[in-house]
Amino acid sequence: MRAAKATAAKATAGKATAAVVTAGLIGALVVVPLESLGRIAADAGLTGIVTALTAPLSRVAVLHTVAVAAAVTACAVTAGTALALAVERRPPRSRLLPRLLIAGPLVIPEFVLGFAWSQAYGPAGLSDRLTGLTMPGLFGPAGIIAVLTVYGVPLAYLAVTAGLAARADPALERAARAAGANRWTTLRTVTLPLLRIPLLGAAALVFVTAAGSFAVPQVLGTPAGFGTMSTLIYSDLALTAAPAAFTELVVLSLALVALVLLALGPLDLWLARLPRAARPQAPSAVTAKRTRADRAVMAIVWAYAIVAAGIPMLTLILTALTRGPGLAPVPANWTLANFRAGFAGGAGAALARSAGLALAAAVAAPALGVLVAGLARGRWRGPLATVVTLAYAIPGSALAVGIIIGYGRWLDGSALIILIAYVAKFWVFGHRPVQAALDRLPPGLTRAARLSGAAAGTAVRTVVLPPLTVAAVTAAGLVFVLAFHELTMSTILYGPGTETFAVVIMNTQDLGGVGATAALALVLTAPVVTVAGLAAWLTRRTSARPLLVRTEPGTSGHHQRAAHPGRCGLRGLVRRLRAPGAGRPRPGRGPGPDAGAARVVRVG
Amino acid sequence: MRLPLALGLALPLLLTAAACGSAASPSSGSSASSTQLTLYTSVTQNTVTAVVAGFAKTDPGVKVSVFRATTGQLNARIAADEHSGGLRADVIWGTDPLSMESYAQQNLFRPWPLPALAGVPAADKTTYFWGTRELYLVIVAHKGLTPIPQTWKALTSAVYKGKVALPDPAAAGSAFAALGYFDTAPGFGLSFYRALKANGAVQVSTIPEVVTDVAEGRYQLGITLDSEVRSAIAAGSPVVMDWPADGAISLYSPIAETVAATGGANTAAQAFLRYVLSPAAQTAIGKTGWQPVLPGIAGPPRPAGATEVYPGWSALFGRQQQILQQYQAIFGA
Repeated sequence: MRAAKATAAKATAGKATAAVVTAGLIGALVVVPLESLGRIAADAGLTGIVTALTAPLSRVAVLHTVAVAAAVTACAVTAGTALALAVERRPPRSRLLPRLLIAGPLVIPEFVLGFAWSQAYGPAGLSDRLTGLTMPGLFGPAGIIAVLTVYGVPLAYLAVTAGLAARADPALERAARAAGANRWTTLRTVTLPLLRIPLLGAAALVFVTAAGSFAVPQVLGTPAGFGTMSTLIYSDLALTAAPAAFTELVVLSLALVALVLLALGPLDLWLARLPRAARPQAPSAVTAKRTRADRAVMAIVWAYAIVAAGIPMLTLILTALTRGPGLAPVPANWTLANFRAGFAGGAGAALARSAGLALAAAVAAPALGVLVAGLARGRWRGPLATVVTLAYAIPGSALAVGIIIGYGRWLDGSALIILIAYVAKFWVFGHRPVQAALDRLPPGLTRAARLSGAAAGTAVRTVVLPPLTVAAVTAAGLVFVLAFHELTMSTILYGPGTETFAVVIMNTQDLGGVGATAALALVLTAPVVTVAGLAAWLTRRTSARPLLVRTEPGTSGHHQRAAHPGRCGLRGLVRRLRAPGAGRPRPGRGPGPDAGAARVVRVG
Repeated sequence: MRLPLALGLALPLLLTAAACGSAASPSSGSSASSTQLTLYTSVTQNTVTAVVAGFAKTDPGVKVSVFRATTGQLNARIAADEHSGGLRADVIWGTDPLSMESYAQQNLFRPWPLPALAGVPAADKTTYFWGTRELYLVIVAHKGLTPIPQTWKALTSAVYKGKVALPDPAAAGSAFAALGYFDTAPGFGLSFYRALKANGAVQVSTIPEVVTDVAEGRYQLGITLDSEVRSAIAAGSPVVMDWPADGAISLYSPIAETVAATGGANTAAQAFLRYVLSPAAQTAIGKTGWQPVLPGIAGPPRPAGATEVYPGWSALFGRQQQILQQYQAIFGA
């Protein structure tokens, strides 16, 4: 009896600690900047807020933003899901290349994305010069939607991939097919309903990303006179320092946050109510044979990657190498001056600082994700996911202002204030994937492990953490890329001695010289491509070992991954990266608690 | 969970400590030692670097911390300062008079402290800030285009239908200067923009983009800054400078001492203002591609007989949004 009481007290204390830690983090990273901005808006009074929101330009900008973000979400989630369904049912060894190809557009920094597309497919662009073809509607809403969709597809793809690994049991699909359903009916009635949680999660991320994008609507929308909330916020800032314009900026930023709250809040609440965990499953059944459909998929993925990332990247390289705009990109006109200008003074130290900050953010964001998503179970999951997304929805310049107001007195000009901004902004990428991964753990799994005799630490280490690894590592990679590319907040927050690399090069050329801008984008891209290439190379090396063995035909006759002594090392990590869900609790892994736990849960 | 959790929390902190290793102390100039000067500026980096380096020689006792950003980001920084303990800059050196005037309206500046300095034209002076250099809006033409327009009005000629690019006036004060000038100039007004629109002129995002687009042949003509055209020509791009016979539109880049500057910073701020308007600094400004504000000091080459016109700044202050809305009714969606 006493023991039970002690356990209950311990549980209460644990819950209280969890609540305090979670509240503290949310307070520091979301509430402080939002509250700072809220005070500015409140200073303007209700009249000021209404004036800012009902100005003709604001109304149009809100409409444009919602329409673009909704269209991008629909296109990116559809394309991401289709690609994920086509690619992720391939044998694990042949998934890496298409995954890298689909993620390709993410390595182009957002601030040159629109520019790269206009150089690639616009009038007098690369395709125009070579073939006389231009992309119709590139300058205008259609072009903005197309480019942002390309940027959103990898986000949707990653989310759906994680969902496929856990939720869409191929056995169910086979059962449907065996029962006479055709492919379409199976997709509609079995696969997609099983995927709705990751699909909606992906939609949320894509929506917020598209709504907040600035550089793409700026370059592609301006010729059509098509403004969005982010371009309006930019011109409010650029044209005048008048308090009224600044209030309008803050009000618009908060309106963007409110928009996200309205779109995501109910969604997250609903998601949190859905039945959570699927049964632990074996990995997808795969056929090692290359079918014609398989080759068609690869052809589509290659074509997509070349159009979406390859050619825009090529134009960036050519622009960076060419002496001046309008010159033919031939060797006679090549120069390294654009790179030399960028590296003229202090750029080396800034590069190291940027890498350090991005790395710190890449570790912190998933760590916070594991911590907060892990602590907050039950009915708080939905609202928490929404709250974590809010800071991401604040436009960069407004978030930086909120952070200075909140922390500037103590941390002004330090690298720490930049890191706080990065972590606040990109926390969502650490939280949502990790929560999705946690959601696929059957409830009570750790308790079951404890009942089976595992110590608390062992239970967490062997039951909870393995399925989180894939999500956390993917999130870390994504956050590293985004933080390394970050320009808007850094240029407002830096101080003497804390310039980031992007700030140094932007200051050198004011982002005016297109050659220098392209050179900056390439230098920012290089480490990212190197890391991805290294991962691919490591994977290729490890994949020389047999990864799949046929096990005893069990209930479904699936392939099972062989238990491997090296699964905790780098090789194990890389292998798990290659196959999401592979780190899931697996029956028959020896004396660990998970097999028993899974059984206990299934019975319970 | 304890070990991994501790690791997860400790690692970012360690990395942060590493990242912060090179962090400097807060950049506040007003509260630091008396010889510390904090400069906020949107002037191009090479010009700032040249001027600050020269100042370090004449006033070695003053240490200058520079925060440089685009006008928009500088505005954000200043607004954030204002809401968190006050402005941290002792001197602000801007690119165009519009933002500087709104700082003045917010009482961020002291009245100009050195009225006895000679040489700055009256058109480039207000109660609070003086000009330091001139920027000129001109026409850029694709090399080989004939005939080249001789005047601003010629851009509306049917010969150039669909060939003209304009910078978005909402994107920067320098781009707004053209709209501001034409809005009030006799014979132009917003009907000039209606005629441009009817002639197929297209608005692009920024002043540098105008030059890029014209160099690439996407458009044949555009309105942009003289320095951008000269840089493109120096890089070998196929563009030429077309200085309108009725005058390039001139805007000045102002500097002011802030109310945050007190005590030693105040003395240092005034020393810096004096230096920027000295022949030495003006020569340095000229060498970095801008027209110095002091007469008689060489700037970049100009065509013979080139003239300039001036927007009526005092009439434009505070009217930006109103003029922009009228413009966007023509060029917006």
